Amino acid sequence: MKLFWEFFSFELKVRLKSLSTYVYFAMWFFFSFLSVAAEDFITTGNGKQLLNGPFSNTILYMFFTLFGTIVIAAIFGTSVLRDFQRDTFQLIFTKPITKFAYLGGRWAGSFVTCVFVFSGMVFGEAIGSLMPWADHTRIVSGHAWWYLQPFLSIVVVQIFFLGSIFFLVAALSRKIVIVYLQGIAVLMIYLLLQAVFSATQSLEHFWSGILDPIGLQLASVIARYWTVAEKNSQLFSWSAYTGNGVFLYNRLLWIAIGFVSLGAVYQFFPMSVEALTAKSQGRRAAKAKREEDAELQPRRSLVAAQMPQVQQNFGSGLWFTQLVSMTRLRISNITHELLFWALGVLIAFFALVNGYFAGHAQETNVWPVTFLMLQSVENTAVILLFVVATIYAGELVWRERDTRFAGIHDALPMRETTDWLSKFFALAFVEVVLLLLVMLCGLIMQTFSGFHQYDLLQYFQELFLIVFPSVMGIALLAFFVQTVVSNKFLGHAIVLGIFIMQPILNRWNIENTLLVPTQSPAYTYSDMNGYGHFVAALAWSTVYWTSIFAFLAVLSIALSRRGAEDSWRARWGQARHRLPGLTPALGLFVLLVIGSGSWYFYNTHVLNTFYTQKQLRDFQAQYERDFKKYEHFPQPKIIAVDASIDLDPYHRSFSGTGHFVLQNKTPNPIQQIHITDQRQSVADVQFDRPFHHISSSFRDLYSIYQLETPLAPGEKLNMTFKVGYQSHGFRDGGERPELAYSGMFFDSGYFPTIGYSNDVEIDDPRRRREEKLPLLEDLPPRGDPEGSVTNLFTPSSDWISYRTTVSTPDDQIALAPGYLQRDWHQNGRHYFSYDMGDVKILDFFSYISGRYTVKKENYKGTSIEVYYDYHHPWNVDDMMQAARAGLDYYQANYSPFQFKQFRIIEFPRYRSFAQSFPNTSPFTETFFISRVLNPKKDIDFTYFVTAHELAHQWWAHQLIGGRVAGSNMMSEALAEYSALRVAQKKYGDAQMHRFLSHELDGYLRGRSGETRKEPPLGQVQRESYVWYQKGSLILYALSDYIGEDKLNLALHNFLMQYRYANADDSQSGPYPDTRMLEAALRAQTPADLQYFIDDSFEKITLYDNKTLQATSQKTPDGKYKVTLVVEGKKAYADGNGVETSASLNDLIDVGVFSGKKGEEKPLSVRKERITGGRQTFEFLVDEPPTRAGIDPYNKLIDRNLDDNSTDIVNQK
Amino acid sequence: MALTITGLSKTYPNGVHALKNISLTIGNNMFGLLGPNGAGKSTLMRTIATLQEPDSGTIFLDGIDVLQQKDAVRQTLGYLPQEFGVYPKMSALDMLSHLAVMKGITNAGERKEVVEALLNQTNLWEFRKKALSTYSGGMKQRFGIAQALLGKPRLIIVDEPTAGLDPAERNRFLNLLSSIGRDVTVILSTHIVEDVRELCPRMAIIAAGELLLEGAPSEALAALNGKIWSKVVATDDELRALESELRVISSHLVAGQHEIRVYADSAPGEGFRAVDSGLEDVYFLNLSSQSAAKAAN
Repeated sequence: MKLFWEFFSFELKVRLKSLSTYVYFAMWFFFSFLSVAAEDFITTGNGKQLLNGPFSNTILYMFFTLFGTIVIAAIFGTSVLRDFQRDTFQLIFTKPITKFAYLGGRWAGSFVTCVFVFSGMVFGEAIGSLMPWADHTRIVSGHAWWYLQPFLSIVVVQIFFLGSIFFLVAALSRKIVIVYLQGIAVLMIYLLLQAVFSATQSLEHFWSGILDPIGLQLASVIARYWTVAEKNSQLFSWSAYTGNGVFLYNRLLWIAIGFVSLGAVYQFFPMSVEALTAKSQGRRAAKAKREEDAELQPRRSLVAAQMPQVQQNFGSGLWFTQLVSMTRLRISNITHELLFWALGVLIAFFALVNGYFAGHAQETNVWPVTFLMLQSVENTAVILLFVVATIYAGELVWRERDTRFAGIHDALPMRETTDWLSKFFALAFVEVVLLLLVMLCGLIMQTFSGFHQYDLLQYFQELFLIVFPSVMGIALLAFFVQTVVSNKFLGHAIVLGIFIMQPILNRWNIENTLLVPTQSPAYTYSDMNGYGHFVAALAWSTVYWTSIFAFLAVLSIALSRRGAEDSWRARWGQARHRLPGLTPALGLFVLLVIGSGSWYFYNTHVLNTFYTQKQLRDFQAQYERDFKKYEHFPQPKIIAVDASIDLDPYHRSFSGTGHFVLQNKTPNPIQQIHITDQRQSVADVQFDRPFHHISSSFRDLYSIYQLETPLAPGEKLNMTFKVGYQSHGFRDGGERPELAYSGMFFDSGYFPTIGYSNDVEIDDPRRRREEKLPLLEDLPPRGDPEGSVTNLFTPSSDWISYRTTVSTPDDQIALAPGYLQRDWHQNGRHYFSYDMGDVKILDFFSYISGRYTVKKENYKGTSIEVYYDYHHPWNVDDMMQAARAGLDYYQANYSPFQFKQFRIIEFPRYRSFAQSFPNTSPFTETFFISRVLNPKKDIDFTYFVTAHELAHQWWAHQLIGGRVAGSNMMSEALAEYSALRVAQKKYGDAQMHRFLSHELDGYLRGRSGETRKEPPLGQVQRESYVWYQKGSLILYALSDYIGEDKLNLALHNFLMQYRYANADDSQSGPYPDTRMLEAALRAQTPADLQYFIDDSFEKITLYDNKTLQATSQKTPDGKYKVTLVVEGKKAYADGNGVETSASLNDLIDVGVFSGKKGEEKPLSVRKERITGGRQTFEFLVDEPPTRAGIDPYNKLIDRNLDDNSTDIVNQK
Repeated sequence: MALTITGLSKTYPNGVHALKNISLTIGNNMFGLLGPNGAGKSTLMRTIATLQEPDSGTIFLDGIDVLQQKDAVRQTLGYLPQEFGVYPKMSALDMLSHLAVMKGITNAGERKEVVEALLNQTNLWEFRKKALSTYSGGMKQRFGIAQALLGKPRLIIVDEPTAGLDPAERNRFLNLLSSIGRDVTVILSTHIVEDVRELCPRMAIIAAGELLLEGAPSEALAALNGKIWSKVVATDDELRALESELRVISSHLVAGQHEIRVYADSAPGEGFRAVDSGLEDVYFLNLSSQSAAKAAN
């Protein structure tokens, strides 16, 4: 034991003397400090989650220990390796020491050191929480256990088992390479497995949590559905009864693995010098043998042989020959090392795995078109390529010194520039090879997915014109850094530091590309436009930064080490000799930097005004502060729109004139007209009577006009204005996505908004706090007098008549809602005149123009039209089929279609949504590339989305709610339900259940990320997870309970009563709200199910149903008697997720199935009254049953789905 | 062909005065630079090999200013550093071919010929395809000399080439060195007196940065003729007594007893016998007079 203490304290002493210990500690301290003191330095949750709450702490510690794997490996690995590196083992192992003392002491010392180092996290957080500038609304104090419990159960356990494993590997391999690489290898493999697992979209919630050593999946399993209230009060429990005990079992499993490792190291570590050196002695013997062989060679004559005469050519071309030879040598050095191949394999591995998922986005399949494939294969590869650049720049700069070949190398008759270029080209070669590998992987995975439209040009552009320069930029920078610093690893750290500066600078609102190293403005490739309008900004910023790095690189030639001395005095001396030769290059790069920088600045700051995200938020906040007082200021409503718009897509501009007819629908005269111009697109506002302009705000965001004679109640007013937007040059990111060369698509948001617009308000609570704004105001409650006569979508109008003329270049088609009256060509432009005729529409219209291929079909009097890019023909027929099916179903069940056309129009993926304007539905590019591989299992996303957008022609364009709580669900949830029904007709019930299980997951995760509070469905505010996911679940379940026909009848009655509400001049027929919808549903719901309407629409209801037991017995007549024991539970949650249990008397499915888990076929399913507590049900079925359960289809909202059904135990 | 060093001085940033006003002229032959470890030999060698700057002084190689026209020097230089490593996993053949290119041997045929000849000459032909990193110390050293001989170097600098070689290797190595052509200036630094005696027509001794002696070994030996005396000393007390009375140059152990060598114009005492002077005596005598001078200051 004394010996143990000897080794233990020795180990500690070594560590205490080592700088690295303190650096590690400081690093964790610093990171933790920032994650509490600097808001969203690392985001562990939304703006309501406590920064140092139990969940944040747990996630932070998991995240830090994930990367801490490298530190653990370094500390444990080197402790056992030290003796072998310094050859002191010969001294130690000839002394009388015990294995326990030696290994135990070293291990325990490392363990204590590690725990100390990682405790920096706790101190960092604690100190960070005291900082005055931190967000104290999200910081609590006095909860030491919230720090300690995660530290003990995550960090200490991790250190224990990872450390033990690393210790084992280090002790048995005794190879420095392995010791240094094992940490990073574990990290990489873990991240890879994690990526693969999450890409499968698996909803597996037990084993995946237990087997996860680090915790990302574990945390997801345990806390996936935790609400903010739970995240702010609950720790990951050590109990076996909470959350199936996943956390406990996980920790126990990995602690056990730690012990096994310790046992193994004790068992297998050889404690004798002989065994430890057997291998190296073998090597030594072999070497001796070789030398002996050399001795035995026939001796050559001692007389010197005449050397052949050679010509030494030191002419002007030699530098090139030298460069070629030197580059080849350096490449050969690199390719002869394992590291290169390991990186290659790693990149290929990631590229292939990610490439596989290029065709499997979320729960749908897509065609792996080249931009998606590139996005996938690049993903990890680009980071690794940066790592490669950083590592190899270091290796190349230091190679001659590391190998001690510098003495010979430096005395060679070669210029420094030649030497430097050889390093540059060797690195460029490596990167090119790896990029080709990435490209190859992409092509392989495209082939593998059955996609054969190889776009080699796009591969080349992306990988060699965009990625390659940025990677080489980092390489140039790294060359410079490595030349300047005196230590390779310090160099790596500095390069890494510069690299991660970008997000940090951005956080400090420094977003100017010219100031943030390595930054280039974001770009998006689109099949419709290629790199389109992003090219200029991308190219010039690349030139700018690459030139800066190249300038530094040339300086690094001047400063490069040559010869024996590396004092700065000596190196300056050398640099002075070299600089004259390098001046032209330096000058060239200075010119390039100044030139490209000026041009970039001129475009982004002179032609365009540059605002940071923060500044833009300041404008929004200012608008709200200044004009919110006018929110309820009576304004006339728009009743007619007529506009003439000339699109100039190739300059990303448009211009035109607009004409509104405004009507005073209020009982009082209106004196002032207020206009919000969100997009700086409105000018020259005129009225048909004398008026004067009272005031305008900054950027003309809000203007007030005074009418000389007030607008009397019922009176109409003509308003004309210019509308347009001119793009100039390029911006530093933040290009308007609406404006594109092809697929330009903007909506009525570019037109004047009458009155104050809530859309401008900031909705992120954190940003609101930052701007010192009060909490975002909720929509008024149902029945609010003003809200009831205000349109939910278009507050400044009710229903309008609409016509427009739009023109575009000859090679494009321009579209807007309405029926085409005529189109003509004039002055090289194509004019289209659209008119909506008598049909009233929402004041919600769009202008779209692009180079389209068109497919049209007349279906029962409705023209179904798809305007698409010729690259994407695959889903056009599917869309038309969905439109036909939708028209049939909606007309049969809801009401007649109000239009004679339905048009789907593709737009570039700069924005990713589909939207429904009157008879016009723009779809983002991505919806045109989805793909059904297995019609039995895959969800046909295109079909579903088409049906959804078409359903909006009823739910929104016929029936729209008032501007009150809940109304949003009447368009979105009903459209979602409608689409589910249309899809179900084609794909069957089983597929809908699969789809709904993802909807349930989405809802539960959505509420767990809620930043404000979760409302019940009937009072939803702006929570899309409620109106989409929960809405579809509830309505589908309701249709299951009361019958599809009954539900549809309720919807039909509701629609017929309230469609085109509030259309008259006096606002006498207010908009409906969810109370009316609920009433319509109640009318069709039997008395014993009325509770379901309350629970679904007015409460947040959560079930926890589980099957306790299921047994079956064969009856004498060859049937099977199944006994099922279940337990139901119901709870209501408040907006923060705090639950109170509710009494249960509900009808819930119970059933018996045959087939394996996941492929069940129903044998007998019936609804039973579930009253809570244990309940037993019996079934008699004909076929051998295998599974049974309560709510087996997961129709109800239940956070724990896995225990609903269970395998049946057969009793003899 | 001559290398002229004038007034060369060098002080390192840590205060070590590595070269003190060294002036030397080295002609067309094998020149031995003898001195103990840390004497400044390597600093001098590296300075001549363009790898280091002196604080003051000049070096001219046949009219080339070595300190300014480094590239011109490098074109005619063959340099074997005191200690050098190799790129891992690189064969001798590939490496030598590469270095041949670097030295301007651009004709592929000639390059092949000269590389083969050098590999043969250095007895490495059999191992030409083996990775250099697997070479033994001696083989590596022979590779070092092979690369130093590439092209037609007029100035060859070999820094401590025999350190760490076993006797057989050393012999072979010295043979190789001695076979280098006549019109070449070869500077060999070593702390092993034997190396110089066997190879060098001219030599210099430096210690603590100072030039103690320059000349032909034979001249130096002649100056000591009849002045070196030897005696086997039986006890430590006797040894101590003799040390304080006489100029003891060196002592060797012979079968466990000290045999001392003393510098004196005539027989210093009883039991001393006259012995032939060796180069080692020259070396040790110079070193001991330097330390005596230092002590006197």
